[in-house]
Amino acid sequence: MTIEDPFTFEERRLAEMLHRVTPEPPRGVTVEDIAIRLANAGAGSSRRGGRSRAASRSGGAPSRGPNDTAVIRGPGRPGRGRRWSPLLAAASVVIVIGASTGLAVALTSHNSPSSPTAGATGSPTSRPSSPGTQSTTTATAPTTTPATGPAVAPIRIANGPWDAELIDSDQLTPGTLVGSGNSLYAISAGYLLRIDAKSGVVKEEVQYSAPITGQPPVVDGSTIWVVWSFGGGTVELRGFDAQTLAQTGSVTVASSGSLASEPEGILAAGPDGTLYVAAGDSVAVVSPSSGTVLRRIDVTGGPAESLAITPDGSTLYVGTAGAVNFGLTSYNAATGAKLAANTQVADQPGNLVATSGGAFGTTGVSMGEAVWFFPASDLASAKEVAQAANGGSVAVPTLADGAVWVGGTRQLECLGAVSGVQENSGAISSVSGIPDQFGSVAYADGNAYAIFLNPHTQQAGVAKITPPNTCVG
Amino acid sequence: MAGHTEELPVSGGPARGSAGGGEPDGFRGFVEARSSALLRSGWLLTGDWTSAEDLVQTALAAAWPRWESLDQSPEMYVRKIMVNTFLRWRERRWNGEIATAKLPELRAYGDVFAQVDSRAALTAALDRLPARQRAVVVLRYFADMTEAQTAQTMGCSVGAVKSHASKALARLREAPGLAELMTGGVAP
Repeated sequence: MTIEDPFTFEERRLAEMLHRVTPEPPRGVTVEDIAIRLANAGAGSSRRGGRSRAASRSGGAPSRGPNDTAVIRGPGRPGRGRRWSPLLAAASVVIVIGASTGLAVALTSHNSPSSPTAGATGSPTSRPSSPGTQSTTTATAPTTTPATGPAVAPIRIANGPWDAELIDSDQLTPGTLVGSGNSLYAISAGYLLRIDAKSGVVKEEVQYSAPITGQPPVVDGSTIWVVWSFGGGTVELRGFDAQTLAQTGSVTVASSGSLASEPEGILAAGPDGTLYVAAGDSVAVVSPSSGTVLRRIDVTGGPAESLAITPDGSTLYVGTAGAVNFGLTSYNAATGAKLAANTQVADQPGNLVATSGGAFGTTGVSMGEAVWFFPASDLASAKEVAQAANGGSVAVPTLADGAVWVGGTRQLECLGAVSGVQENSGAISSVSGIPDQFGSVAYADGNAYAIFLNPHTQQAGVAKITPPNTCVG
Repeated sequence: MAGHTEELPVSGGPARGSAGGGEPDGFRGFVEARSSALLRSGWLLTGDWTSAEDLVQTALAAAWPRWESLDQSPEMYVRKIMVNTFLRWRERRWNGEIATAKLPELRAYGDVFAQVDSRAALTAALDRLPARQRAVVVLRYFADMTEAQTAQTMGCSVGAVKSHASKALARLREAPGLAELMTGGVAP
């Protein structure tokens, strides 16, 4: 392009400034990227709002139902796209995004056999402690239900940490509470819930059988993403409107190599909304605006079992369980370059949380988990920062309001997000020798909340807590 | 997805639409030579690298099947798709202008953080613009397109381009920190 029009002085200064200030991209686009993208489009992908032109050209009817989820699988077949066969194999990705629920949900049934591990909990039943307003349906579309009842007065939890008071009485899956704006989101047997943080009222619910227990939903601006299915060589995500919980899209990512056998946190969102999905021997980087896999970051050391992205989006941490060692590796999220690794982790690092100071994660299984801190400056010098003592999934670390939080059955703790040092803690009480459980701390509406369970009385729900000022990051 | 998957038809691969059944002649050279510039334009349009990459990939993927039959400059064609895609995204996702409540304060030039601050000030200023004004700014003043080329790319009249540019300049004049950026300098 040449400049033929005379610029005014102001325009010339603007042009000069744009050229001077606009940074160089962290990585370029390659022909291979485009080939994979075209392969995805040919596989029936479509943008939000309709089928892609490419898909239409291939002769598909506007609504083909399940067949729209065509997947390019395996090595290229002879005589087809010769030089691109390896790329097609690498691009075994199906992306389906539908603006309308009708389009998106036509593709995969909630209890579809296409999701080998999805719906492992079976057909959803009535959500505990929630009125049975949800009709069971055989339709493929998950149905949403509006507010379930009036607010109730908070109930002070006897001897609870940090002035804990119960604001909601749903039995929530430990490790799944997240906050955004004025809402809390959590998973409760067979449902994804949106809870108004101020009142504790469940405003919306949608049927959702989590294929990975304890996998929290991920908030990406106005969309809540959940792992819908995990297995059979694919990971399917579904996006729901953050207010209405109406489904807005789905993304299916093919695994490269085997999927993790013990996934513990396989989905994360960067600060710009970019989604990171652990998909076997790579992490798929997905654009939420188009639902397209932009690129893959190859993972060393075995299938990616867990991942986390730093709040600034610069560094991706991936926990792996290889044939020989467990490992934690950091990558430049923009370029995919490996930065550092700890290949001598004693147990599988899972439930990762990333901060500018490093990564926090659990080791151990089930009720014996401990929380470790892997400093970014030296991943190898990991140290145990909390012993969750029978806390199970409720003890997984979370990052909220600038601090890292760890729950359990002994104490609720806040840790310095950069230092990993405990800043404060609140004791968790026992009733008749049976300890309460607190954990999964999240922030919404300017307040802190945690999942609470009293195994003795079966009292459970969301507790509002008031952490000391030293916990604020 | 085993129950709902099928093999892609032979005609569905990336070579589809390409006369030679593979990568079009000149496509790789164009991508290698221009992807950086296109990404920078995408960054100015969207304000983040992920969306920029998405824009560029979308445009290049659309250009691939038509590459050898394009009746215009490939770059013009790719930029046209980028802009149209960007405008569609803005319509769908943001529904117009985003008000920026708090703008970053600029540090003194020479500060090690000044470059980062400059970029933040620039994107904050561009966020003040409606989508079409922003597109005109990027095409006219960054991609160095003429008014006629900009109009062709955006599918509007030259008069509309002039109008968008004029309004954009007026808004940018009021953007905190931008005047200093335009008169000062930060070493690249």
